[in-house]
Amino acid sequence: MDAQAVAFAIVAVVALVSGIGVVTTRNVAHAALFLLVSLASVAGVFILLVAEFLALVQVLIYGGAVTIVLLFALMLTRAEEFSNVRANPQWLVGALAAIGVFGAMGAVILNDRLDTQALQGPSLKELGGELFTNWVVPFEIASLVLLMALIGAIILARASDNDAPGSGG
Amino acid sequence: MMEWAWLIPSLPAIAFALMVVLRRWLPNWGAILATGSMAVSFALFFFVFADWFGEKSFPGDYTFIYSIDWLRAGDAVLTWGMWIDPITLTMLGLVTAAALGIQVYSWGYMAHEPRFTWFFAVHSLFAASMLALVMADNLLLLYIAWELVGICSYLLIGFFYDRRSAAEAAKKAFITTRVGDVGLLIGILLLFVETGTFELSAIFAALANGELSEGVVTGAALLMLMGAIGKSAQFPFHVWLPDAMEGPTPVSALVHSATMVVAGVFLVARVFPFFEASDTASLVLLCLGAVTALGAAAMALVMTDIKRVLAYSTLTDLAFMMLALGAGSVTAGMFHLLLHGFAKATLFLGAGSISHGSEQTDIRQMGGLRRRMPLTALAFGIGALSLGGLPPFGGFFSKDEVTLAVFHGQQFGWVFFIVALTVGFMKALYMGRVFFSAFLGKLKPENEHAHESGPSMLAPMLVFTTLGAVGGLLAFGWTDGYGGFGYFVFAGDHQEGFHLNWGIAGASTVLAVAGFGIAWLAYVTGSLRTEGIIARVRPVHTLVANKFYVDEVYQWTIDTVVLTLGNAIAWVDRALVNDVGVNGPGSATSWSGSKLRVVQSGKLYSYALGMVLGFLALAVAWWVAQ
Amino acid sequence: MELYHVELLSAALFAIGVYGVLARRNAVMVLMAVELMLNAATINAVAYAAFLDPGRLVGQVITVFIITVAAAEVGLAMAIILRLYRVRATANVDEADEMKG
Repeated sequence: MDAQAVAFAIVAVVALVSGIGVVTTRNVAHAALFLLVSLASVAGVFILLVAEFLALVQVLIYGGAVTIVLLFALMLTRAEEFSNVRANPQWLVGALAAIGVFGAMGAVILNDRLDTQALQGPSLKELGGELFTNWVVPFEIASLVLLMALIGAIILARASDNDAPGSGG
Repeated sequence: MMEWAWLIPSLPAIAFALMVVLRRWLPNWGAILATGSMAVSFALFFFVFADWFGEKSFPGDYTFIYSIDWLRAGDAVLTWGMWIDPITLTMLGLVTAAALGIQVYSWGYMAHEPRFTWFFAVHSLFAASMLALVMADNLLLLYIAWELVGICSYLLIGFFYDRRSAAEAAKKAFITTRVGDVGLLIGILLLFVETGTFELSAIFAALANGELSEGVVTGAALLMLMGAIGKSAQFPFHVWLPDAMEGPTPVSALVHSATMVVAGVFLVARVFPFFEASDTASLVLLCLGAVTALGAAAMALVMTDIKRVLAYSTLTDLAFMMLALGAGSVTAGMFHLLLHGFAKATLFLGAGSISHGSEQTDIRQMGGLRRRMPLTALAFGIGALSLGGLPPFGGFFSKDEVTLAVFHGQQFGWVFFIVALTVGFMKALYMGRVFFSAFLGKLKPENEHAHESGPSMLAPMLVFTTLGAVGGLLAFGWTDGYGGFGYFVFAGDHQEGFHLNWGIAGASTVLAVAGFGIAWLAYVTGSLRTEGIIARVRPVHTLVANKFYVDEVYQWTIDTVVLTLGNAIAWVDRALVNDVGVNGPGSATSWSGSKLRVVQSGKLYSYALGMVLGFLALAVAWWVAQ
Repeated sequence: MELYHVELLSAALFAIGVYGVLARRNAVMVLMAVELMLNAATINAVAYAAFLDPGRLVGQVITVFIITVAAAEVGLAMAIILRLYRVRATANVDEADEMKG
């Protein structure tokens, strides 16, 4: 068992445990923090998979942006229920379905081992070149998607007169 | 001029369209469109006729064909064109003359009808369809015109549609002829399948080259004959014609003289090569003709309604034409068609004049009407004598032609010859009966107020009377260009000049005189007591007076067989097609919707669960497929 | 560390995310579970790029896009949740059930 395997085992366990924490804790703020840990672990997995740039992006976007947005939202809504969120009535069915999903995918994974190559990642230069040559059109489209999401979020979140709670608007 | 012959049917058709579309804006005299267009068509006929003679080297066979492509579907080209040969010319003349005369007559007869314009519109279309029918150069066009004739007859017979019996009669006429039309359609399609074309010239060419097997020829001939006997009201489709009297009398006149019923005879004459080629079909034609002639003549003898007597006499004469065609003589058939058309137009217009002037339709209630309506009496009398076959009137010549043709017929000539002679005698008898009892004898008190009809009714009647009286002369060649009817209308190569067989002519004249004589004794002098004769043959009389119970048999068949079948099919339609097939999907959707709506909980996680379960189901399905 | 180890990690994270989406009532929690599932997918993409793709690039490029879209999605989703909260004074997904059949 080499160091790489040990490191992978550690980040994997951390990712899974904190992931379970995300979906089981009753406090939304705790869940957000668990998510942060889980996402950071995934960044560790990326490093082990020789994708340092993606690890960086993961930490920046998820750790920096997404989690912050979530926490901001929590702060803005200040819902009392957020500190004590119960599961919905079908949680048991959900659990069984999730186990079923894992079973199905695991069966496929273990059943059908793929031939792998030596682990090696591209350089950042290669990735950048690829992204701005062969993938430039999707890249631009992604920027548009982001723009529209931005506008949409602003329009949706903007307060209007008939938004009083219970008005049904 | 020939190229413009298509105007002959088109003008009345256009008149129909204009009258229907502009009915609201046309004053009552909008009917002038109908009569005017018919007059132009009639005039055009003479141009076409003269042109035809100008272009052919007489005697000889010359058929003018002019057609345009109508539809192209793959290799099949449907054409739309004219076929002008002597048969067409004969029919064109007869139809335009009869339609024009009857329309003029209708100006007087129909003057007080509320649907005056509508009558003329349909009358125009009726004539137009018949003209298109006789000019059609292909079977498809012929069939279209054929059905148009049928629908027009339906509209006109049911003209008084607020009277139940008229509506019933119209339906009866339409449905009965439809049965035959199905046969015609199948026959046409059979020929199309065999030859790949509807065009008459190509079909005749195929027939002449022996490209059609004997079975196909016989089958096609019999199927087309089915359509012909339906239209021409031959046994067993004869039941509609007497009921068709429910229409206005001018309609009856047109139906009986020039359009509708003669369409069947015309069809047989048009596709005559098939009957020439098939002995079976000819024999069937002869047998049907003989049966219809005898039966209809017997019924004409006992009917008391004047229009019904005339209707059965039409049946008899149509059967005569069929006999002639079956015996192989287009000349005799067409000649009789022409002269019968004139005579029958006279008689029906006369009958209309009687009912117009005296309100009577039952010949037992008439009598002595000549004192009140002398010109009608003259016209009707000449028509009756002509149709009864007395020389020198036209009917004698045509009847003699038919009798002679039957005598020379290839198959069982003498049997049908005896039938023809017998029917000739009966014709004279019933014609004498109807004429004598209506116009001669004492004037009944209730008919004192009877009056002669106006000039617009008398004029056409007298014209037709004249045509019918002198029409026999057409049989003879009296100019250099015209060698007689037999050199004009004939089938194949055998032209027949008119030649009297003195024996046969003598015999049929003697029989006709005898018929009229007996009728005279019975209905004028009264020295022959009809009641006594009827009493002696009571069962036969009852049988004939009830029209051989054919209607009853049909009614029984319809009530039991057809309605039972119809009810079964209706049940299938209601239960299977409607409830299960049509309403089924609808109610199934709404039922399953009402059950499935609980799935739409509105809960986000329920929908997500659905997606996950769907994924699992796909995984399982993939697993199983592996 | 073999490919299937990574794949199993990915599958496990995905299943956890599935459970979160199916079992949580709170919209923010559901959103986090969705983020977990997205991450599971990116792990797969990166792993395949590293272990299978000779060019080693496509998977990483895809991952960049996934992260981009995820960021956009979070922004929108949070806006929707805010809106829902303003209208309903709740962020529970089962209380917004006007679409119930």
